[in-house]
Amino acid sequence: MLCYYDIQIVRRNLGYVELTIFPTVVNLNRIKLNSKQCRIYRVRVNELEAPFIYNDPTLEVCHHESKQRNLNYFSSAYTAAVSAVDPDAGHGELVIKVPPELWKQGDDLKVLKVYIEFSLDQPKGGLHFVVPDVEGSMAERGAHVFSFGYQNSTRFWFPCVDSYSELCTWKLEFTVDASMVAVSCGDLVETIYTHDMRKKTYHYVLPIPTAAPNISLAVGPFEILVDPYMHEVTHFCLPQLLPLLKHSMSYLHEIFEFYEEILTCRYPYSCFKTVFVDEAYVQLSSYASMSIFSTNLLHSATIIDQTPLTRRCLAQALAQQFFGCFISRMSWADEWVLKGISGYIYGLYLKKTFGVNEYRHWIKEELDKIVEYELKMGGVLLHPTFTGGKEKDNPTPHLHFSIKHPHTLSWEYFKMFQCKAHLVMRLIENRISMEFMLQVFNKLLSLASTASSQKYQSHMWSQMLLSTHAFLKSISNVSGKDIGPLIKQWVDQSSVVKFFGSFAFNRKRNVLELEIRQDYTSSGTQKYVGPIKVTVQELDGSFNHTLQIEENSLKHDIPCHSKSRRNKKKKIPLMNGEEVDMDLSAMDADSPLLWIRIDPDMSILRKVEFEQADFMWQYQLRYERDVVAQEEAISALEKFPTPASRLALTDILEQEQCFYKVRMQACFCLAKIANSMVSTWQGPPAMKSLFTRMFCCKSCPNIVKTNNFISFQSYFLQKTMPVAMALLRDVHNLCPKDVLNFILDLIKYNDNRKNKFSDNYYRADLIEALTNSLTPAISISNEVRTVDNLNADVRLILEEITRFLNMEKLLPSFRNTITVRCLSAIRQLQRNGHIPSDASLFKSYAEYGHFVDVRVAALEALVDYTRVERSSAELQWLLNMVQNDPAHYVRHKILGMLSKNPPFTKTTDSALCNEALVDQLWKLMNSGTSHDWRLRCDAVNLYYTLFGLTRPSCLPLPELGLVLNLKEKKAVLNPTIKPELEVGPEPDPISLGVCGVGQPPQGLKRKAETPLGSPPEPGQVLQQQDDDARGGHFKIRFNTMEDEDIDMETVHDSQAFIHQHLHLLERPSTPGKEPPSVEQSLLSMPATPVPSFSKETSSLASKHAGEHGHHHHHHHHEHKKKKKKHKHKHKHKHKHESKDKEKDRERDNSHAYSNSPASGRSLRSPSMSD
Amino acid sequence: RWTGERVGRGSLRGSSGKAATSPAENYHLARRRTLQVVVSALLTECGFESAEKAAVETLTEMMQSYITEIGRCAKAYCEHTARSVPTLADTVVTLIEMGFNADTLPVYAKRSQRMVITAPPVTNAPVTPKALSAGQKRTHPAYIPSHFPEFPDPHTYIKTPTFREPVSDYQVVREKAASQKRDVERALTRFMAKTGETQSLFKDDITAFPLIAAQPSSIPYLSALLPSELELQTLEETDSSEQDDQTDSENDDPGGDKENSMLPPSGVPSAKASEENVIDNPYLRPVKKPKVRRKK
Repeated sequence: MLCYYDIQIVRRNLGYVELTIFPTVVNLNRIKLNSKQCRIYRVRVNELEAPFIYNDPTLEVCHHESKQRNLNYFSSAYTAAVSAVDPDAGHGELVIKVPPELWKQGDDLKVLKVYIEFSLDQPKGGLHFVVPDVEGSMAERGAHVFSFGYQNSTRFWFPCVDSYSELCTWKLEFTVDASMVAVSCGDLVETIYTHDMRKKTYHYVLPIPTAAPNISLAVGPFEILVDPYMHEVTHFCLPQLLPLLKHSMSYLHEIFEFYEEILTCRYPYSCFKTVFVDEAYVQLSSYASMSIFSTNLLHSATIIDQTPLTRRCLAQALAQQFFGCFISRMSWADEWVLKGISGYIYGLYLKKTFGVNEYRHWIKEELDKIVEYELKMGGVLLHPTFTGGKEKDNPTPHLHFSIKHPHTLSWEYFKMFQCKAHLVMRLIENRISMEFMLQVFNKLLSLASTASSQKYQSHMWSQMLLSTHAFLKSISNVSGKDIGPLIKQWVDQSSVVKFFGSFAFNRKRNVLELEIRQDYTSSGTQKYVGPIKVTVQELDGSFNHTLQIEENSLKHDIPCHSKSRRNKKKKIPLMNGEEVDMDLSAMDADSPLLWIRIDPDMSILRKVEFEQADFMWQYQLRYERDVVAQEEAISALEKFPTPASRLALTDILEQEQCFYKVRMQACFCLAKIANSMVSTWQGPPAMKSLFTRMFCCKSCPNIVKTNNFISFQSYFLQKTMPVAMALLRDVHNLCPKDVLNFILDLIKYNDNRKNKFSDNYYRADLIEALTNSLTPAISISNEVRTVDNLNADVRLILEEITRFLNMEKLLPSFRNTITVRCLSAIRQLQRNGHIPSDASLFKSYAEYGHFVDVRVAALEALVDYTRVERSSAELQWLLNMVQNDPAHYVRHKILGMLSKNPPFTKTTDSALCNEALVDQLWKLMNSGTSHDWRLRCDAVNLYYTLFGLTRPSCLPLPELGLVLNLKEKKAVLNPTIKPELEVGPEPDPISLGVCGVGQPPQGLKRKAETPLGSPPEPGQVLQQQDDDARGGHFKIRFNTMEDEDIDMETVHDSQAFIHQHLHLLERPSTPGKEPPSVEQSLLSMPATPVPSFSKETSSLASKHAGEHGHHHHHHHHEHKKKKKKHKHKHKHKHKHESKDKEKDRERDNSHAYSNSPASGRSLRSPSMSD
Repeated sequence: RWTGERVGRGSLRGSSGKAATSPAENYHLARRRTLQVVVSALLTECGFESAEKAAVETLTEMMQSYITEIGRCAKAYCEHTARSVPTLADTVVTLIEMGFNADTLPVYAKRSQRMVITAPPVTNAPVTPKALSAGQKRTHPAYIPSHFPEFPDPHTYIKTPTFREPVSDYQVVREKAASQKRDVERALTRFMAKTGETQSLFKDDITAFPLIAAQPSSIPYLSALLPSELELQTLEETDSSEQDDQTDSENDDPGGDKENSMLPPSGVPSAKASEENVIDNPYLRPVKKPKVRRKK
């Protein structure tokens, strides 16, 4: 049960959680929960006050002002930190000690009720508050709040077991202002006013077992729309947007029907809610029975381009309701199954709604994306298995982050992961047929829904968790087919396949000799062995051949069916049964081959580079009916700038039956070909006469018809052609005057008065066309750009842009598309040296308060400016925004754009690359982004792009003895004395750091903020001792941080144990900005230690101060649970002793300064206190 | 005798502007002068040998007021009885009403020592200046009684249609529309730029290509998402004008389809829906009052 009893948009929220725990093991004396940012006031277990400890190692990944600055070090520390609180492994930031009175009860496996009272003060993550700065009450201002996060991030807003595999039923209560609506998961049971009638409480019940990460909340003065087709579906939007909501949601019921039909399963929840919020973290996020969308998806009936995008988002969100929310995952390694299935059924929806062409186009697009990513960045692994968790077992050594946890992934990798997952699902479908596939889904869903109605005690709930194993088993049960090899190839293994194909026709044997080679050595590639389909279009028809790709055979002989006999006039049958007349004059007279396709069904995750003659590509483009083949032909034809290619492309452009996206692609190809053929090009500029014929008036061909976008195909073509035409260049490499005037005329005569659709995207594309027409200015030695020496054409362009941009202020276009394009046009003008390069305009548009698309466009220009001008001021400005901007999406976007278009890279030298920047970025990823996993990973990405994995080159050499870097083997440089230090890896640097002694400056700041400081009274002596102990541990830190395998868990436990016994933990301040500092918690504690504990306390403290080993054993007996970990620890220690001598040496060196050799084992001596 | 009213008005006007010399003014001045003579004669009759000008003036004023009041009152009596011209009886009643013993009047009129005053010089009654007239005044149609007011001057109701030959050449029309639109836009944006804050692309010449400064708004999504009024307006226009020729193509276009299909749900089913919703959807249920016993 979660109860937020006062959600105020003034950003302070109080609440409590009550968890009902069914112990499954005896000896349950500690309960670990996840919690971040929350200030916890009290914890009670079955009405008894329970001590607790709070420790979040991810707040600051690398503690202490260590001079370590290499990413390897950070990544491993970060992974360790995330592991240390990983709920899937039973860890958590919050450790509650079950009062001993209840141990007995726990041993009998009786229910424990844990009650946690907490508050959330100005959370930086987890909940996002949007509070527009205008007059009026919160409701009038449209202020709202919603939960967000990347993967499991619910711990940011209430203490819970933040795991997708920990299911429970929910009772949720939210008390909000009477003018607000609280939307959350499950059924709204009732809404009741508080006694003063100023607030109301929303009571929700979610009877279906749901994991905490699938719980969400949105509160705001929402307008409510009950779906006219499905009354159990309710839509919510911000004030004034109701008409848009009505229009945008009018389609949702069809998506519902589609999914319910193919899955032959009813929507699992009794209701569904969609909430549209501003400043959304991602476009869509799905939670149990509700989805939160970006408000920018809403659109009116006049908008064309946004309509399919919004519908796609809705369909995606709904697919995730079935797989992702209702059925959850067993572990992170099984995530691919859920993402795969939801992506796959979403694909089926695309196929049904937007047609097979769109679907195949989409599949090709996704395939190209994943192939490109993997070839560039290295493989994407869907189902990682971690055996030992040791560095050398890392399944993805090519990556600069660990894929062990979702929270350490780069965002781009995660997107590619999802993309690959659904493509693999499609491969499985290819293998077992769609019918079986849907049967499998149905089976999974019905098992889950049976389980969901059971009580917890029946142990059925695990059916609602999907694992790779269960999924594969279900497939083999249903289909009876073995898809093992397929899974092994694409799921258990990363990378894609890269084929090179070529052929020769053997006339004598009438055989096609096909050669298929593979590149499996470069990064991101793997070797493929197995069947491959080849389709050969001959004169007599189209024939499919299945070849076996084997280890050594490259050549494959394919017998041809037809003799070359092109003199006979006969229609040529195509694959789809159609028979067409072809002009065969272009063909090779000796060969009956029209075209050849390798793996036409995209049933391998591959890239194919196939060589065939230009006329074959042209035939393929004209006559092959598959859009994928057509698109492949178009990209191949770029290399054949001949009149024949031109003709083929023009024909396609004109053919209305052809898929519009193919035609759009043909435009760009035609522009490229025209540029290659510039010296021999005959007639008017490419596409001009075509455009005139299609879109201009009959009577006056220079004037475009008044807009009528009723036919969407021609609309998209009309939009695209000018953009492509503007890419044309004449012999001087300038955009032809004709073309520019033509585009200017299009703008001039654009008339939308009679159109029922908005032309904002069309106008935006015309601006893009103007941008594309720009070429670098002829500069005369660094002359300053002034108005007077502005090129005449550029002046015309600039005038249009100025007018467009100014008009937008008076009549804003949908999503400010015009402004967006104008900004990039202005940047392009600057970059080409037509106008002075200046960042101030972009800065003003990048400010908070502009529409997000505009901001992103301005920021993109700024990022580009930063790179070109190498401006450190602008880089600083951007980084400041990353740290301070209210919109999470914008912060994420800035880092993303900086990584994509970096001001410098690890291989280039730049004045920007300096120590201050390194420190700043380090701080950003180390502690500045602890509230947002995604942002932290973005920062890591940027750091990687700028400095690489190793120590940034701009840093001075590390101070000897203080900083050690194993990777760089700098240890050799340290010939310092090595005092023998035999310390196990037990003390955890992280939990130590949190203890608050010797914290880096950041810690000091935090302390200043804690309200808990009070003069030391009760346990002053204790505190002293504890300090000492910690002082000792603190030194040891250097040790453990050096090596990559820190056993956080153990250390963490022991720390926790100590603290509990010291009974220091009455009320540590836990929120993100205030890591508990022991002194403080101690001081704030009312002097009421349980008597039985106080004895133990002192003895333990002394023990701790003196005998390390004993301490170990103590643990050993105390906690069964830890046994395993101890073993691990010892093993670890062994490893150190035997293998890593050098490491030890380094480690020791690191203490040379802090640890006088004379003191020997003084590490734990009180004198070492900081 | 019944011109008292006019006298009164004239005197008022006279007092406000002495320099008036218009025929109407002259007329009124002459009247006043006669009245003054009458007052002087009465004074002489009473035995005064001389009088201050101011006294004479005051008495004249009083007399004028008195006569005016008689006139006004008599007129009122006559109109009260639905006549347009006062009769003797009206005047008598008036005099009585004003506290004057009407019976003494004949005796007074025939008194011996009365002075005879020469009739005032005949001056032309003032003509009301003719308003600008255009064309012929229309006469009343047969069904309007003649005593009704006349039609006003034709210029107040007559319109003269003026038109130029419409330009029918398509190219010219488009050209015109385009340049007009562009001119309006340019003028408007220039104006906005001149009157508000601007940003510039050039450092040397800030006035070249002025850009209206970007102003952050507190709720940026509203203007970015909601269609502007202009768009809504044009949409309505196109809807009404083009509905006929678009109905057949509407079926295969999702956007248009939506629009039409939106109507029925909000019309027929939603009427039904709204009934059910009250029961159905928990968000539409009224908020409950807190139960007292919950408090405890």
